[in-house]
Amino acid sequence: MIKESKEKREWEPKIIAFLCNWCSYAGADLAGVSRLKYPPTIRIVRVPCSGRINPFFILKSLTDGWDGVLVSGCHPGDCHYISGNLVARRRFAILKDLITFFGIHPDRVHFMWVSAAEGERFATLIKKVSKKVKKIGPNTKFNNSRE
Amino acid sequence: MEKKLLLKDQLSEFYNILEETYNFYGPIEEKGNIIFRKIKNPEDMVLDYSNSKIPPKNVVFPQNEILFEYKMNDDKIEIEEPKDIEEKKVIFGIRPCDANSFYLMKSFFKFGEYEDTIFLRKRENTILIGIGCNNPRQTCFCTSVGGHPFNKEDMDIFLVDLGDKYSVESISEKGKTLLEKFSWLIDARPSDIEMANELKVKAENIISTKLDIEITIKILKNNFNHPIWNEISENCIGCGSCAYLCPTCHCFDVIDEEDHYNNSGKRIRIWDTCQFKLYTLETSGHNPRPSKVERCRNRILHKFSYYPSNYGLIGCVGCGRCVNWCPVNNDLRVILNKICEIERKEESIIA
Amino acid sequence: MISIQEKNNQIEKSIHDKADKLLREDQVDAVIGYSKGTIPMRSCPVVIRNEKDVDALIWNNFCSINLAKYLAPYIPTLKDEEGKNLRVGIISKGCVGRALIHLAAENQIDLENITIIGIPCNGIINRSRILKEFGVEEILKTSIVENELILKGKSFEKKLPIEEYLNELCKKCKVKSPPSLSSLSEICVGELQDISTIEDDFADISEFESKTTEERWAHIEDLLSSCIRCYACREICPMCYCQLCFVDQKLPRWFGKTTELTEIILYHLVRATHLTGRCVACGACSSVCPMGIDLHLITRKLEHIVKDRFDFTSGLDPETPPPMHQFKMDDKQEFMLEEE
Repeated sequence: MIKESKEKREWEPKIIAFLCNWCSYAGADLAGVSRLKYPPTIRIVRVPCSGRINPFFILKSLTDGWDGVLVSGCHPGDCHYISGNLVARRRFAILKDLITFFGIHPDRVHFMWVSAAEGERFATLIKKVSKKVKKIGPNTKFNNSRE
Repeated sequence: MEKKLLLKDQLSEFYNILEETYNFYGPIEEKGNIIFRKIKNPEDMVLDYSNSKIPPKNVVFPQNEILFEYKMNDDKIEIEEPKDIEEKKVIFGIRPCDANSFYLMKSFFKFGEYEDTIFLRKRENTILIGIGCNNPRQTCFCTSVGGHPFNKEDMDIFLVDLGDKYSVESISEKGKTLLEKFSWLIDARPSDIEMANELKVKAENIISTKLDIEITIKILKNNFNHPIWNEISENCIGCGSCAYLCPTCHCFDVIDEEDHYNNSGKRIRIWDTCQFKLYTLETSGHNPRPSKVERCRNRILHKFSYYPSNYGLIGCVGCGRCVNWCPVNNDLRVILNKICEIERKEESIIA
Repeated sequence: MISIQEKNNQIEKSIHDKADKLLREDQVDAVIGYSKGTIPMRSCPVVIRNEKDVDALIWNNFCSINLAKYLAPYIPTLKDEEGKNLRVGIISKGCVGRALIHLAAENQIDLENITIIGIPCNGIINRSRILKEFGVEEILKTSIVENELILKGKSFEKKLPIEEYLNELCKKCKVKSPPSLSSLSEICVGELQDISTIEDDFADISEFESKTTEERWAHIEDLLSSCIRCYACREICPMCYCQLCFVDQKLPRWFGKTTELTEIILYHLVRATHLTGRCVACGACSSVCPMGIDLHLITRKLEHIVKDRFDFTSGLDPETPPPMHQFKMDDKQEFMLEEE
């Protein structure tokens, strides 16, 4: 893990981002190549498809101490595997409903569609996610990790 | 030693004195369940309970118990021993059946040349102050397995509830030394002792279940493969309620919980039960107890066959918790009776 | 209006008649039902193989177990020597019927070998609630008289109105008997229910959801904190038929196995996601919990989610694939993040 300098800084959230290989990861790449600015709060995990995401990955990330979780895939209809993102969408829908019901803040978990051409959209959405997670503060409730 | 009297009004004084040197555990109500917890206020204790939901074994053998913690610093590994081993404990209000279970568990954790130091140290540092069972439940059958609602053998100090007071009797050396702190206890009058004896007889008569364990043990030895096990396990769903609520079940699993971010972790011992699919699952994927039938059989045999042959004891204290809380009412008393009938049936065939 | 006691007697009689007929005419090899429990307020699932034993079958408001559990997969004693499934009759209250239909929709069982003996369930009494209310007082005997439950202890006798003491899920239950479906008409005997007019009411869920995030979290924490992870809820659930449950996976070991609160909530949360669109709201998980944890809120929420999002109610049709087995291009996606 990145060693933080000991100076007191404003708290910044740590967000884990699961990006699909074919669209969102390329979108993130484009944002980087285009030198677009977005907050350095996210750590990216590349996955083959948003359909690969087991709801458990998201919950486990929270209990491991991440302040926010982001999942991004291809727009509906654009999935490299035809329908992986559509299957995933139903899962995300019920997961978001359930965590909200259980009293975990809905802004801890975000889902979005970003295509390979949308570098700008990626940067904008990351800014938005960071802002939202920052607003709700550090993840202390549903967190199992010791400091 | 002669018996003393402890008025119920003096209980908080009793608590205060013990609390100075010991962590005081007792039965309290937590969300409708009686559980043994560290007592902060003696008035919280529920002492007229008939059986706690979770047995007091969790005070010395908790469901999750840290065996050690480690931390890696560059090339050094620091190992930290658990802190609570030498914690002095008093368990107050334990019932005779549960106290008996401490003895049974000790025989397991100290078997032959293998000794489980953590358990034994914890047990050694624990003083049991028990209360006789005035009102056994209808599911209790301690008298059938060699126990008694007023059995005081396994306690250090034994109390009998006489309404507004307790008669106090020290049983072990530990108990005697401890009672010396309470010189202010008044002596029991003969009428009190008589009353205690009456309560003893009364309690014994309440227990209606009579099981013939001797015969069961004998039958179990020869019937490892018998169709009866199919029948017994038929409606079992394979949950862990019976084992997790059992005062004598002691099977455990050891897991490592790593903290990858901080290069540290802990090794934890957690309760396990023979009813789970993972129990005795081997690395190869083979499980000698692949189905419910074998797992149910293991539970019965462990208590009523392996325990008698290994330790000369019966591995059940007759508290009736598993009878009360089995989701499908797979009643242990019925199971034992069914096993007894194997022989009767065979006899009738021969005759 | 006939009383609960009378209704129970009627149901019990019809169970005896139907089971007797099925076994006598050799239409089934075995009947799964409930028998009298050995302790107050419990019943014991039993398999009857001979018409002589039919009288052991009972019906009362303590028959809490969902018997479909024994068919998914078939327990070994319900298979013949070659491992083929026997023909089984199953005493089915509404939720047992729904569970069977849902399992068929998931291709877990073949309804052909099963005979659904439908009965009009009149609710299951909340045992945990009663035991909690009585605390250390032991209940020695119970009986149902008219519409009341009479509890006898050593020094007390109390009457409780049954309607009031039913499981929360039973109070809201709309499917009392197995659903009547034309595709199932050949395998059903006994009472069935027309399900075309069912209307759900989720006022309880809206009420809970009107609380703040913190209040909800506090409620869930308080509810689940006494869990000892005996997995009785999982093992009794007819929908939990996985060969290897996610909590039991060792490589990788996703799950902590301790009773730390986060792990407990994680277990219940993931189990809830797995049961979305599949749970048939039988309430068995709450009935069997040795610690008396009542999971009805979560169960109701699962029903609410699938009704709200996918207009689906589980266990009403063996032909429709469950919502989590399919998708549509135009599924609602209001939760997805968008630029303004």
